[in-house]
Amino acid sequence: MRLATRFVLIVVGILSVTLAINTYFFLRSQGMTLEQQLTERGRVVGHLIALISPEAILAFDFLTLNEYAREVSLLRDVVYGVIVDNDGKPLTSFVNGSDQHNRASLDGLEAGSNSVDPRALQTLLQRLADHPDVIPMDFPIIYEDRTLAHLRVGISRAELKAQADEQLVQQFAIYAIIIAFLSTAIYLVFRCSVMRRLEQLIEASRHIGRGEFKQVRVSSRDELGQLAEAFNAMATAIADEQAKLHYQANYDALTAQPNRHLAIERLKQEIRSAHRHRHRFALMFIDLNDFKVVNDTLGHATGDLLLKLVSGRLRTQLREEDTLARLGGDEFLVLLPRTGDAAKVKDVADRLLAATSEPTLLSGREVVVHSSIGIALYPDDGETVESLMANADNAMYQAKRHGRSSICFFTQQMNAQVRERLQLEQDLNKVLARNELYAVYQPICRCADGAYAGAEVLLRWEHPERGPINPAMFIPLAESTGQIVDIGNWVLCRAARQLRRWLDQGLAPGHLAVNLSRVQLLEGLEQTLDQILRDHDLPPRMLELEITENVLLDDHYQVADVLARLRAMGISFSLDDFGTGYSSLSYLRRFSFDTLKIDRSFIAPLCDDPEAAVLVRTIIAMAHSLSLAVVAEGVETHTQLELLRELDCDYVQGYLISPPLCEDEFAELLVRLAGGTKAAAAIQVSRNG
Amino acid sequence: MSTVGQRSPEAATSRWRAGSLSGLLLALSVLVAAWWLPVASAAAEPPLEMGIFPRRHATLTNELHAPLADYLSRELGREVRLVTARDFDAFWAGVEQAQFDIVHYNQFHYVRSSDRYRVIAHNKEFGSGVVAGAIYVRKDSGITNLAQLRGRTIVFGGGRDAMMSYILPSYLLLQAGLQPDDYEAVFSRNPPNSLIALYYKQVDASGAGDILIDLPVVREAIDPDTLMHLSVTEPVLHLPWAVRNDMPESLSRRIQALLVGLETHEEGRAILKRAQMTGFGAAEDADYDPHRRIIEQVVPAAEAPR
Repeated sequence: MRLATRFVLIVVGILSVTLAINTYFFLRSQGMTLEQQLTERGRVVGHLIALISPEAILAFDFLTLNEYAREVSLLRDVVYGVIVDNDGKPLTSFVNGSDQHNRASLDGLEAGSNSVDPRALQTLLQRLADHPDVIPMDFPIIYEDRTLAHLRVGISRAELKAQADEQLVQQFAIYAIIIAFLSTAIYLVFRCSVMRRLEQLIEASRHIGRGEFKQVRVSSRDELGQLAEAFNAMATAIADEQAKLHYQANYDALTAQPNRHLAIERLKQEIRSAHRHRHRFALMFIDLNDFKVVNDTLGHATGDLLLKLVSGRLRTQLREEDTLARLGGDEFLVLLPRTGDAAKVKDVADRLLAATSEPTLLSGREVVVHSSIGIALYPDDGETVESLMANADNAMYQAKRHGRSSICFFTQQMNAQVRERLQLEQDLNKVLARNELYAVYQPICRCADGAYAGAEVLLRWEHPERGPINPAMFIPLAESTGQIVDIGNWVLCRAARQLRRWLDQGLAPGHLAVNLSRVQLLEGLEQTLDQILRDHDLPPRMLELEITENVLLDDHYQVADVLARLRAMGISFSLDDFGTGYSSLSYLRRFSFDTLKIDRSFIAPLCDDPEAAVLVRTIIAMAHSLSLAVVAEGVETHTQLELLRELDCDYVQGYLISPPLCEDEFAELLVRLAGGTKAAAAIQVSRNG
Repeated sequence: MSTVGQRSPEAATSRWRAGSLSGLLLALSVLVAAWWLPVASAAAEPPLEMGIFPRRHATLTNELHAPLADYLSRELGREVRLVTARDFDAFWAGVEQAQFDIVHYNQFHYVRSSDRYRVIAHNKEFGSGVVAGAIYVRKDSGITNLAQLRGRTIVFGGGRDAMMSYILPSYLLLQAGLQPDDYEAVFSRNPPNSLIALYYKQVDASGAGDILIDLPVVREAIDPDTLMHLSVTEPVLHLPWAVRNDMPESLSRRIQALLVGLETHEEGRAILKRAQMTGFGAAEDADYDPHRRIIEQVVPAAEAPR
């Protein structure tokens, strides 16, 4: 119900109640006055008749008495006038047959009848005595202090009631007119002075709802004027806040460039426009290579500064109508409307690469950031936001695989790879249930004499349809999906169980080195390891955990804490694939390792590249200086082995020593080692390699 | 007037047949004179005063009997003046002083004034020239004979000079052995009220004319079926019309003839109807001897009407 209607209804209600009460009391008072007048008139007539009646009574002049009764009965508002003796018996017979009360009270009395017998008249008096519309009055007829008879008069309230009804109708009509007039007037005033202004506010509110911030005209200083002022202030505040929210929702706070949301909106818009005008356009995904290193080494503030600088540079290479958006982290999106020619797109991408690669001075250090760019073209590489972004992302992923500062256009083959990756992901979910994983063991021997020291546990996946899956393919996948935790725990359990079995067989398996994922490290590893060691009753020193440098990038302090507690348990650590990552010496200093494993990429060129030899020598020397044992991975030739001995490498691992062995083969190896001398065992290992 | 007009042409015609012009002229002169002289003589006489006793209000009396007076004036060729009295005493004074030439009153009045007036006619009401007095009681009263009225209250209509409402009923009571002291006599204003009083049980009996109960004024006021005649007197002649004793016999006869003849023609019946009568009957003094006999027993001789 509308406010004005409700207001008017309330006013009408109040007026109605007020006027009804007024009418009630007015009519009641008037009714009492009229009744008093009526009874007074009856009294006057009654007294008059009572005054003149004695003579007629004393003279037995009943005809005259009847005339008196007739005169009284025919008076207005008189129902009956009857003279009765002191016993109440009528002495007159006249009855006004025209009076409805009489006819109603006395059966058989007709309108033209004017006389009834005493008995009927007495009955009539008795009946009318209790009639609500009749006021009975009694006037004694006295002569010389002697009551001769009584004049009984019945006064009708009918006329009074009719007057009251008529008055009520008149009052009702007058009040109805008053109420209608007042209601209309109030409605009009209310409408002009309140509703119109409220409607303006409502309309302005609706505008605000549609995002249109219009000010309401303030036409007075009253409450509504103050409301309008407050509304305007609120609208301004909302507009400011909405602009702020809009900016926050659509722009990246760091770079002041559109964010993912706005980028997608613009991409949608561009798709619609391109579809309508049959244009082509290009979508680029740009990812900064090794940005984490900058963050980690120079701090996040510096990393943010770098992102701002790179963003600025990218923006300068683009047209006004182009969109540069930061999707998150070090990932940018570039939308090039009406640019469908691959060569031109390539030119733009080259300029963007060049812009990002310019050396930058950050925190006093010159930093060079390279980037990878993936490009998808509309409509060839997709006609939807999802497909274009996914394909540009795929292309960028491919570009990143190619190495530093590369550009990659999307091809359909990339999609095939993606599909393959997805399928692999799904298969990986079932790998433990299907028991498709198994562990192999690659021995690690002492470099000096070839004595067996331990083994690295390596994970293998025998896919039922695709055969063996390269760990380099499925391990990152498992890490990205989180399945690496279950898989890593399975490896740890498997290794522990084998250790216990071999120990129980009286063999000497040495220590087993198990690779550890960074995800695994943060998922209750201490409890898991503690449980495994206790379950298999193994001394902690028999397990060595291998971690790569990238594990240490995430959170120095948390990782350091975990490693410290594991180390306190007696577990040893080795830094795996040293040299392939950031080779940060700070890691060696910050984290306590027992062993450093030189990546095979350094060992392979060892004999042919003098610089490689120098590098390996330096690493070994550095490790020794930090009291770290050194394991050379990927030793495949005797020359390499000899050179590593010369370089004072501590341990070697590689196909020269032994390829990874399945559990049975490794058990056989351990049996053989247990049966021969140390030298013979070492020779044996060398020969097997 | 119309009777005198018919006689004159017949005389003239007989004289014409005799053939004597002078005789004819003389005869015509005589006849004209004879026709003119009586009229002139009557017109010169003083009007006849017709007194009506105040049985009713003067205005009503005048309304009822004015047509009769007019008729008599026209027929007699002499003005008949209707005289109404303001009350009975004034009327009776007129009677005693013989001021009225013609008078109408009740039987008692006539008996008491018969030394000055002689009756010539009587009323016929409801087709009857006689009336009777009666004693009425309520049917539910249990009274079946007059003796039971001893010690009771009896209402009489009018006063002690009311022939039908008092004298005749009192005569009945006397006949039954009830002296005036044996019952309480009260008087109503008029006869109908006596029956109404009885009807309303204000009294035990009522004395009135035997036909009173049939009068419309009574039947409209009460239920007559609740009352009954306890006793009725012998019929006596109705109200008298008398003329002063010194009125010439011819005139009195003429008046009597005019009154009695009213019911024979349309105009007369209209006059009678107006006077609430059905006719006049011829009467003479001897016709009122029964009244005299009754009155002598009921009303002391010295008592005059009041």
